[in-house]
Amino acid sequence: MPMLLDHDFDPAKALAEFERTCGDAGAVVSFLGRVRAEGGVETLELQSYPGVTEEGIRAAIQAAQSRWPLSAVKVIHRIGRMRPGAPIVLVMTAAKHRRAAFEACDFLMDYLKTEAIFWKRQTGAQGTQWIEPRAEDYEDKNRWSRT
Amino acid sequence: MCMTILFFGRLSDRFGPQITCDLPDGIDDLAALTAWLEHRHDAKGLLTEPSIKVMVDKVLVHDNPKLKGSEEIGFLPPVGGG
Repeated sequence: MPMLLDHDFDPAKALAEFERTCGDAGAVVSFLGRVRAEGGVETLELQSYPGVTEEGIRAAIQAAQSRWPLSAVKVIHRIGRMRPGAPIVLVMTAAKHRRAAFEACDFLMDYLKTEAIFWKRQTGAQGTQWIEPRAEDYEDKNRWSRT
Repeated sequence: MCMTILFFGRLSDRFGPQITCDLPDGIDDLAALTAWLEHRHDAKGLLTEPSIKVMVDKVLVHDNPKLKGSEEIGFLPPVGGG
């Protein structure tokens, strides 16, 4: 399954495919993000910069791999228009032990929520507007900075 | 030879997602092209806001590179995350 999809996907099928690439890993962690049905949102639309968005995600995956001993890692992200409840992102990590898999998955989600090259537009009762990251998203990302 | 100019996020509402054109007469660098685009779309200052990042051939630029007219230029407002 490619990294960016412009149509709905089946997370269970994606996880089953991923598990076949995990070798003898003892821990597989997956995080599924779905479109929230808050504030009367009817559709959420994500725009990417083809090539640049994928390259940024690949760099974040490499950063995760250099930091944790991962057996396998895979990110699947939606672009295009979605309705509340639809899967928007699936991050899957596998490692010998659970801690590395949990932390790498959390790290990748923080990257995807703040730095990943996506522009987000929501349409609902209040019309259509572009959304920028919340302050908390940046704080979550900063948890991982090594100074 | 023609160049592709891409606009993302809120900028795509104003400029459209993509312009394909030759380098306009008398324009040979990024700053001049940016001023030309703003003038053409009556959008003074919109592309030169500090929050707007610019990519030339998918690489972030912070200076004012010369343009040959075959580049892909991207204007990127702050990203909204996934």
